[in-house]
Amino acid sequence: MSVAINRRTRHKLGASAGKHAVLILVSVVLGFPLLWMALTSLKTNHQALAVPPVWIPHPFVWSNYPDFISAVTFPRFVLNTLMYAATTIVGVCISSSLVAYGFSRIRWRGRDFLFKVMVSTLLIPFFATLIPLFVMYKRFDMVGWYLPLIVPTFLGSSIFSTFLLRQFFMTLPQSVSDAARVDGANEFTIFTRVILPMSKPALATVILFQFVYCWNDYLGPLIYIDNQVWYPVSLGLTLILGTYTTNWPWVMAAACAATLPIVVLFFFAQRTFIAGIAIQGTGDKG
Amino acid sequence: MRKGPNRPRIQRRTRNGLLFVSPWLIGFLAFFAYPFFATIYYSFTNFNGVQSPKWVGFANYTALFHDPLFGTSLFNTLFYTVFELPLSTAAALGLALLLNQNVRGRGIYRTIFYIPSIVPLVASCLIFVWIFNPATGIVNDLLNDVHIQGPGWFFSIAWSKPSLILLGLWGVGQPMVIYLAGLQSIPAQLYEVAALDGAGAWHRFRHITIPMLSPVILFNVILQLVACFSYFTQAQVIEGGDIGGPGTSTWFYVQYLYEQAFQFLKLGYSSAMAFFLFVISAIVMVLLFRSSSRWVYYASEG
Repeated sequence: MSVAINRRTRHKLGASAGKHAVLILVSVVLGFPLLWMALTSLKTNHQALAVPPVWIPHPFVWSNYPDFISAVTFPRFVLNTLMYAATTIVGVCISSSLVAYGFSRIRWRGRDFLFKVMVSTLLIPFFATLIPLFVMYKRFDMVGWYLPLIVPTFLGSSIFSTFLLRQFFMTLPQSVSDAARVDGANEFTIFTRVILPMSKPALATVILFQFVYCWNDYLGPLIYIDNQVWYPVSLGLTLILGTYTTNWPWVMAAACAATLPIVVLFFFAQRTFIAGIAIQGTGDKG
Repeated sequence: MRKGPNRPRIQRRTRNGLLFVSPWLIGFLAFFAYPFFATIYYSFTNFNGVQSPKWVGFANYTALFHDPLFGTSLFNTLFYTVFELPLSTAAALGLALLLNQNVRGRGIYRTIFYIPSIVPLVASCLIFVWIFNPATGIVNDLLNDVHIQGPGWFFSIAWSKPSLILLGLWGVGQPMVIYLAGLQSIPAQLYEVAALDGAGAWHRFRHITIPMLSPVILFNVILQLVACFSYFTQAQVIEGGDIGGPGTSTWFYVQYLYEQAFQFLKLGYSSAMAFFLFVISAIVMVLLFRSSSRWVYYASEG
């Protein structure tokens, strides 16, 4: 009897060790590029290019960071990106929550049809509508700065946010709206006084994802921003790659500096991240 | 009788509903519907953005089909899609299955698997250019240690597209998380019953996991397809010194469109490309949705 149990636990232990071996191997492969980025960013250029490779920087060249930062006005890129993120976050929070409310908390004819139209625009390639948009913005003299990327967010362009908020609003009980209605509140009051205060976690998710989106956005600024003074971090990185191709520690320090805020944010808001992504796939398809 | 008093209420609701969604509705008309139809119109004109468009009929489309670089960029994009789509689906699903095991430290593994996908895209491009550098990169160094002559990766005509596919596979964290959520919502008793019936691991995977996940698979495949058709940033950043290079091996469809539009101001020509892209992706989407009734299983339908 005791032998049988022993064998079973030993078998279990073996299986668990096997599982861990696979998981660790995959972790090493997936984590390696980031590790190598961080290591390279702290080497001298000579060490970075050494054959056979030097694994641990010797000495740790922390000055790579201030050096590349002052070489390419990196703080300016960060500032531009923060401005881009802050303004679009305001736009998304206002417009997406309004639209999501109309698509979830009020029953009206045509609602589900329009919702389907909205979601299906996600399937249309961005480039299918880009050219007339550019011509239009050019005519309004809006090209060269972030306005073409900011204005649409005030008009419900972030369909992901609208979708996410709608999913959340639908989980709130109808009774809270009914109670307010009995007290004579109109829809807008219910929206601002009842539903929005209950939706802080969903809004936090929307803000988080909008920030990450702006921080990573390359294509939008590439199309509309032509002056380096207004470059966001993403375009700044390509500038560094183009200018300092032979100085890999600097290029990796820049990549690291662009990655670090997002990774830190992830560690602080891991649950929000994971839940925000999972809701897309498992939410109902309208 | 009951209809009478209800009517004003229904009208009020419709008015309220439309008011709430009006920001999106205005945005949809201005930033989607108008440019969509304008693209079709431009595609039949000669237009440089300054002078007014001149009608040229189908000239842009005939020119497209005689443009070798158009064909190349279309081929490269389809090549990327055909390999990236199944490989990334398998990778994301595989990683999700690994994470769905009952092992200690699952949260840590999940974090490590997920983090590459939140690295800013341009930063991941820089990292890959560096580690896959043919002469000084660590990957070829390591291959050298096991006596394999590493290829030229992003600098080789044969390897540039596979290298981009590798970069794509590194960032499958997003679909992985969606698959993981899907896996965790499959009721455990389904597996228990199947195990009692003597179904092996493969059978359970094939006849429980896949059908139960199929709506999520469809969702991810759609997102992935849209991304593949608009594949731009990675190729543009990585081959920045020689766009489309080496040779023409990394000219992707929308990169060529972008160049024609914003470098050469051939807005009519690029609009024809844009509309053609819409037609192709619409056809693929329709085919995908048609086929989905055969392989996607919705639990609520029984």
